[in-house]
Amino acid sequence: MGRDTNNRASGVDAQLVQRVRRNQWTGAIVNLAPSAFWLGVFFLAPLAVMFFFSFGERGAFGEVLLATENLGFQQYRRFFVPGEASMLGALWATVAWLIDTVIPGTQTLSSTQPTPYVRLLFKSIGYGILATVVSFVVGYPMAYYIGHIAPEEYQNLLVVLVILPFWASFLVRIYAIQLLLSANSVLMSAFAVLPFVEQGVSLMNSQFAVLLGLVYIWIPFMILPVYSSIEEIDFTLQEAAMDLGADRFEAFYYVIFPQSKPGVMAGSILVFIPSAGAYVIPELLGGTDSQMIGNFIASQFGSAGHWPFGAAGAFVLMGIMLLSIAAYQRGGGELA
Amino acid sequence: MGAFRRARASLFERGSGFLLAQTAFVYLFLYLPIAVLITLSFNDSRYAVVWQGFTTKWYTALLQGETVARVDPNAAWNALLNSVEIAAATVVISCVFGTMLAFALDRYDFPGKRLFTGVVFMPIIIPSIVMGISLLLFFNIVGIQLGIGTAIIGHVAFGISFVAVVVAARLQTFDQTMEEAAMDLGANELETFRFVTLPMIKPGILAGALLAFAMSFDDFVVTFFIIGQENTLPIFFFGMVRQGISPGVNVVAALIIVVTMALVAVAQWFQGPTW
Repeated sequence: MGRDTNNRASGVDAQLVQRVRRNQWTGAIVNLAPSAFWLGVFFLAPLAVMFFFSFGERGAFGEVLLATENLGFQQYRRFFVPGEASMLGALWATVAWLIDTVIPGTQTLSSTQPTPYVRLLFKSIGYGILATVVSFVVGYPMAYYIGHIAPEEYQNLLVVLVILPFWASFLVRIYAIQLLLSANSVLMSAFAVLPFVEQGVSLMNSQFAVLLGLVYIWIPFMILPVYSSIEEIDFTLQEAAMDLGADRFEAFYYVIFPQSKPGVMAGSILVFIPSAGAYVIPELLGGTDSQMIGNFIASQFGSAGHWPFGAAGAFVLMGIMLLSIAAYQRGGGELA
Repeated sequence: MGAFRRARASLFERGSGFLLAQTAFVYLFLYLPIAVLITLSFNDSRYAVVWQGFTTKWYTALLQGETVARVDPNAAWNALLNSVEIAAATVVISCVFGTMLAFALDRYDFPGKRLFTGVVFMPIIIPSIVMGISLLLFFNIVGIQLGIGTAIIGHVAFGISFVAVVVAARLQTFDQTMEEAAMDLGANELETFRFVTLPMIKPGILAGALLAFAMSFDDFVVTFFIIGQENTLPIFFFGMVRQGISPGVNVVAALIIVVTMALVAVAQWFQGPTW
């Protein structure tokens, strides 16, 4: 509404226009409306449809049954509860299996195995955690170097060199990893020089390839936030700590590292979430033993043709994401 | 204990050498695969992995429109055009809506703002596979024909969020007294926006546009589910990679990565490091 329009308009109209312009809600509503519409219709509504589907049942020909008598938690039950076990039994089977898997040794705490889907879910979470830990261990020293030690005039260049691959095509970079890991490639031939490696071995279609792919793609997401929090640290504090008798390790551990924690937290969540929810990387780099929950969801909507089950799997994955974000906010809240 | 402390401390004294080596190693890790890929695109071998000598024949063949090992350059070109069309439309819509959204979130308090902000962040963090499949179900139920249009709709749904987050970050450091001064001097809302606000937040909008373009252009998973029979460059490329390593794929991959990295490098040069 321009001022000219106001002048030309009749008194009543002008008053109305003025009132609308002065109203505190006008700006908010006008600015919010398009995005709220778009996100509501093309983001939330589809999720709602999928959520609804996850309570449905599959008909004999792969169609989705959504009549009232078909609705229920059966897909979630199928996902979490093995056979005829009770809820508690399923929970115990899962916990026992987790303990068995994480702690080495051959103890068997529970006779019931959790469902393959639960195992797949935890495997995906495991991949996410591993990718995050590796990215942190490899990325933190680098971020520290760029943010603190590297000469000021090179800092931007070094940062851009980290950013560049992140902007460049994701699929092409996965393909590049394939080129390196397949049999007789430059890298594998170089490895074959080692006595215990055979000629013509391929690392493709393995768990290692998937983990490498995840770290390769997502490590910039760890380096960049850590870098930006390290860059802001006042390093005279380190000198102060050392003047007060701390050695270099203590000065780092008690003074510097805690200040870089927001970056580490942000980096961890940014690596963990896409890694645990990965689909393309295990599809292209993994074998049958390295599929993840994302591939399970895709196959339920594709070859397996069980949409409600796939929808339930998708919402289990969403639940994991929300839990990890909640954990992040909790941790972040303490830091603030 | 004393010995341990001394060893630990002296390890940290010599730390910067270790950090330099580590940093160099990570850069190698990031760029070695790309370098190998580009090198192999000049490899004179049908079996594309083992080096047999330098040739540009794959490039020549593809540029002349010949199919090299199942890679049809015309299909690649069409896919590229589709990708650019989708990304361009996504950027325009996302920038307008996303900037407005950023303003609303920065300037106004309204009931449910926290929840709404959460919803704005969701398309960025939600696994693409969930987003893609849910959109597929939705288009199916509503009865919208899949194609370029639905791909644009889906891309805008996450593009808005990327733009809004980037622009909102810039708005936090925005000095609102400038706007008040303009209004006091007789400018109306639109004039204030056009001549005062927009020039000041332009870098933010540009950064958001760049991000939205890259995310749209590079997206595979969401697009894969909602584009129907059409192709984009990532979908075309995925289909090729599925069939295995071949000289044709190497050339297409090398071209994609060189061109995108060059464009991004130029953008970063003008913008300063942006992510």
